[in-house]
Amino acid sequence: MINYHPTDKQLQQFAEGNISSALALVVSAHCDVCSQCQEKVDDINAKLSSVIENIHAHEDKDPAFEKMLASIMQMPIVDTKPVVAPRIELDGRFFDVPRPLQRFVKHTGNWSHLLGKVWQAPVDLGDAGIANFIYMEKGGRVPEHTHRGTELTLVVDGEFSDGLADYDSGDFIVMDNEHIHSPHSNASEGCLVFSIVDKPLHFTSGIARLLNPFSHLFFK
Amino acid sequence: MLVGISLENKLQNTGKPKDCADEMSQLLLEVASQRCKRSYAKIFGYFAPRLRSYALKQMGNEALAMEMVQDTMTNVWQKAHLFNAEKGSPSTWIFTIARNIRFDMLRKLKNRKEDICSDDLWPILCEQTPDQNEVSLDEQVTLEQVGQLFNNLPDKQRAVIEAIYIDGKSQQEVADELAIPLGTVKSRTRLALQRLKDMLEAND
Repeated sequence: MINYHPTDKQLQQFAEGNISSALALVVSAHCDVCSQCQEKVDDINAKLSSVIENIHAHEDKDPAFEKMLASIMQMPIVDTKPVVAPRIELDGRFFDVPRPLQRFVKHTGNWSHLLGKVWQAPVDLGDAGIANFIYMEKGGRVPEHTHRGTELTLVVDGEFSDGLADYDSGDFIVMDNEHIHSPHSNASEGCLVFSIVDKPLHFTSGIARLLNPFSHLFFK
Repeated sequence: MLVGISLENKLQNTGKPKDCADEMSQLLLEVASQRCKRSYAKIFGYFAPRLRSYALKQMGNEALAMEMVQDTMTNVWQKAHLFNAEKGSPSTWIFTIARNIRFDMLRKLKNRKEDICSDDLWPILCEQTPDQNEVSLDEQVTLEQVGQLFNNLPDKQRAVIEAIYIDGKSQQEVADELAIPLGTVKSRTRLALQRLKDMLEAND
């Protein structure tokens, strides 16, 4: 069951187009699996679009628009055929991902062993930077860390805990420098998450601190 | 110029939102089923100026606003068959397309600005490896590996790295503690990190 949602403010800003594209991606992925948030966004969209309808646009003919109209209508119609939804594969196991993430499946690199029972596959978001699919096997744990920037996470499949809370598929999590946590999964099926970090993590305990000089090479 | 198709900004029923939505839905259907240019011109005439005003307000730039209008209205022309009147009004559909276009544009803009090395957190590694792409340090670095490599460092370098990265001390504190100049701490740190990096690369 989904317990962690974007705030109403984040949903509003998402609908307005006023949040970063990384946050927009994770919010829209969440809404794809959370009907409750999707309904809220639908309502906001309807309100915002009525604003557009009420704009009093001038009615003179505009040569720039005439030209644009002509050039658009020369373009071919795009046939969109239903396609098989691409899935994420790890060791023969296939995971469904929310629709906004599907277009990135083909830009996902190979899985690499991170540490312990934690695996990572980088996702090239193109202009928006790098994200990762992270998979924690049962018993897998990421060392305790805080965040120099913002860490956005969507639980794709499974459950994990981080010492602050327990999360389930579909949960939307934002962490920053005020949070110290150590994600780990005790679920028998492990846990797959999608994560975007804009600055390297900062490991906070024990020998893991040694990773800090290199943390920009992974978890990012 | 397109002869015979004029921009029609005004529809018969713009006064009533419901009627306007019905008319637009009908027009979209005609675009989808018959590629009707006349219907599209009406949709365009109604939405393009409104989208421009909205985008101009949001982006504050005429060229960007027009780019957004062009991309949005191109989608409307090419994908009219994806409009589903049961899921919402035409204006909501078009607004949502415009919003997604905006996210794409923001992403591209951001990329143009961040062409420089953003990794100022590790200026040492950065300045010695200006081309980040060349340093394809494998992601398969594990904690255990780093720990082992760390033990291979010369004692003096290891002491400095340990104090800074494990104990969390500042370089000045380390200098005071070991009674050595700050510059020495800095150079030992730099050498140690470089050495670790070299060892990580050799480990692949």
